[in-house]
Amino acid sequence: MRTARLSLVALLALGATAPLSPALASTPRELFQNGNSAYEQGNFEVAVDAYQKILAYGFADPRVLYNLANAYFKQGKLGAAILYYARALRLDPSDQDVRDNLEFARGLIRDRIPETGIPYPVAAVKDLLDTVSVDLLSVLFLCVYFAAAGLVGALPLLTGDLRRRALGYGAAVTGVCVLLVGGAMLYKIQDRTAANAIVMTDRVDVLSGPSADNTVLFTVHEGTRLEVRNRRDGWYQVSLPNAMSGWVPSGSVERV
Amino acid sequence: MRGERRDPADRCVGAMSKGRRRARAPARALRLLPLLIGVLGASVCGGGAAVAQDIGVRARVDRDSVVEGGQVALTVEVSGTSLGEVAPPDVSGITDFDIVGGPMSSNRFQWINGRTSATRSYTYLLRPRRTGSQRIPPLGLLVNGQTYRTESIDVEVIPGGGAGTPGNRPSPPAGGDGERGGPGRAPGPARPQQEPAGTPVVRVIADVDTPVAYFSQQVTLRVLLDTQTEILNLGMKDTPTFPGFWAEEIKLPENLEMRRVQRGSEAYNEYTLMKRALFPTGSGMLTIPAMTYQIQVRRRSLDPIESFFFTPTETITRRTEPIAIEVHPLPATSRPAGFSGAVGNFNLTVTTDRKDSQVNDAIGVKIRVAGEGNLNAVNALPLPELSDFKQYSPKVSSSTSIVGDRLRGEKVWDYVLIPLAPGAQSIPPVRFSFFDPRTATYRSIASPPIPIQVARGAEGSAGPPGVLVVQSDVRQLRRDIHFIKQAADGLKDRSAPFYRSPWFAVLVLLPLATDLGVFVYARTRDSQRANARQRRERGARTLARRRLKEARRRMAPSTARAFYAEVAQALTEYVAAKSDTSAAGLTHDRIEELLTSRGATEEDRRTFHRCLAACDYARFAPTSSGPEEMRRTLLAAEEILVRLERSLSA
Repeated sequence: MRTARLSLVALLALGATAPLSPALASTPRELFQNGNSAYEQGNFEVAVDAYQKILAYGFADPRVLYNLANAYFKQGKLGAAILYYARALRLDPSDQDVRDNLEFARGLIRDRIPETGIPYPVAAVKDLLDTVSVDLLSVLFLCVYFAAAGLVGALPLLTGDLRRRALGYGAAVTGVCVLLVGGAMLYKIQDRTAANAIVMTDRVDVLSGPSADNTVLFTVHEGTRLEVRNRRDGWYQVSLPNAMSGWVPSGSVERV
Repeated sequence: MRGERRDPADRCVGAMSKGRRRARAPARALRLLPLLIGVLGASVCGGGAAVAQDIGVRARVDRDSVVEGGQVALTVEVSGTSLGEVAPPDVSGITDFDIVGGPMSSNRFQWINGRTSATRSYTYLLRPRRTGSQRIPPLGLLVNGQTYRTESIDVEVIPGGGAGTPGNRPSPPAGGDGERGGPGRAPGPARPQQEPAGTPVVRVIADVDTPVAYFSQQVTLRVLLDTQTEILNLGMKDTPTFPGFWAEEIKLPENLEMRRVQRGSEAYNEYTLMKRALFPTGSGMLTIPAMTYQIQVRRRSLDPIESFFFTPTETITRRTEPIAIEVHPLPATSRPAGFSGAVGNFNLTVTTDRKDSQVNDAIGVKIRVAGEGNLNAVNALPLPELSDFKQYSPKVSSSTSIVGDRLRGEKVWDYVLIPLAPGAQSIPPVRFSFFDPRTATYRSIASPPIPIQVARGAEGSAGPPGVLVVQSDVRQLRRDIHFIKQAADGLKDRSAPFYRSPWFAVLVLLPLATDLGVFVYARTRDSQRANARQRRERGARTLARRRLKEARRRMAPSTARAFYAEVAQALTEYVAAKSDTSAAGLTHDRIEELLTSRGATEEDRRTFHRCLAACDYARFAPTSSGPEEMRRTLLAAEEILVRLERSLSA
């Protein structure tokens, strides 16, 4: 990791001094510009190559992932497009463009899987949280956490029943806020680290066990999102939101 | 696949006969008999309607084994006391042999012991297609409306040099009855046919214009009849089907045209029996199946009476060879986005019925695609959604025609557009993509944009400002993904979330540590304060004694005020120290509260207040107190302090 960062710093330093040349593009910024130019000219393969090089540097900017997903989409690679839209959304859930394109791409996949019903209040909170990044929630958590800790810390320093009572109420309220924001933050962390995978091949049979001679339970197609529940010898145990589950070869899907 | 229409060859004999009737002698009218079935039935039975009884059928061959390329004579006999209507046997099930001759029919009557019997036989000449044990399947005969079946017959075909069995005449080349077009055979003369002795030379040939085609490209099938004899009647045995193809009939002239062709040294009369425009609906190797024709020809008869008074005929069967067509799929690369599925060569015209219109006044737009090829697969609407026009579903019409054996298709979309906004509008270019098999490329053609000048309509339709404006919803024409993003502020690696950084852990632990420190500090401070209170409480008696000692020192008339002040101070400070409060400002009421709260008895409290009141009186009264008074006051103060010390400590 440290070597990658050093090389990245070196690349950035080189990029700051070298003129921009498509043929010699080596810094992430130059590669990004070259990828964008190729995309605008309809040369999506070159654009994908440039964006992938940026990711190979360990430079996970959500805009790179978004543009890469766009280029894959234009090439007709629906699975790869959905995969990188999902990755971009994990890094920046507030980006409405990513959300729209992901929804548009998911509307083109062949499998229609009914989602489990969520009560309205829960769905509203979930929708709200889906637009907030985990970093923002982390900062918000620290703010309310500091406030609650300050109030709790001030309690023994104060004298007088009235002031201490007011301070106690304030500490209780901020404590509840800490719990709420902390819960939201844990939800986002869980969502960010959830083991989801996208089907990358045109179609893949989901088997009853982790070997090819098992019974085919059902078939999913490119772009469908699966939840990875287990892994064993090159096979993933996956499930769908409607509780259908089975095993697929790990090479047919890609973890988000 | 659409059902195949009745083949025109079924009616061509009638057409040929009509043509000949006009040109030949009336005696030839005898030849205008219906199909062989009726002819044979009428001649044999003499129209007898007797019910067949004791009907027996059997099939036999003249030999059980034959050398490859040789021929076997198959005879099917029907016998009974009385034969009614007898149809020739159904030989379509014979797949291991080629029927190279026949049927030749004969009748035999016998009168034995007053009982009559009749026998009718049909003889076919068969040539095996392969070596080994070949089987002639059971053949069905329709006798008086009832079907009888023969037994199957096995014939051993011995590999050999193509010569016939002993006694048999030399066989023609293998597979060569000469009446078939080979698989994928290009147009051209048929191979020479070797007819059996006594059998007229008649050949039926099927060929195609190209053995290799693209998906949905036209393949023209042609069935020809070459003959050196006179054809009286012919018809297809079965309705032809073309699995894997979309077939369009190419109509032939009402009267079949005869051509003279030269096949090697032989001259033939050639007729075109059938033409079909076939369009492959799949890719890979597709096969045009064999077609069987039954042809009635004039039989050569050595009997001059028969030849003069009758028209000896026989019905022969000819079958074309299956034709394999190699169908390539359309290339996947460089396929235009709006490819319609059309294959051929087309042109596109877009016309409007007017160039000037008004808001809400309908405009007719006609989009016409026409050209050589099949347009049945084209279903997409050619005109995109237009934002400034209300668009209704078009009326679609299509038609086909045959020009020079090539199918030409035409498809017309009639749109009605309602202008929604005034001004210079435009019908955008209409694009149409198709695959041209001649160049093996996709082609896209587009019409020029058509300007439409839309005037403001009458009242209620986009009038002048301030009058009335008809608004319409902005419609989404198409959907696409949002465009790519730029990074003017540079790229940032955001793969590591903040909550996993060390700073986050430090910031979480910091308030905990701070609160813990504050808690420890507060506990320490409280503890210290509690110790100070205890010390002060414990020192209250000592402080009071010290005050009383000072008062005793000042117990003189001249220092009476100071004396009483010291005594009052001793009492007040004692209560203040015992209650850990300030002595300043302590009133009698407050002292009463403090003493009550500390559990002092009422008598002690009264004594305490009396002593304190005496001090206050002596300090502020104009008269001075004597030494005895001061001594009593001092003693009372010491006594009350002792009592309070005792009660408060308890």
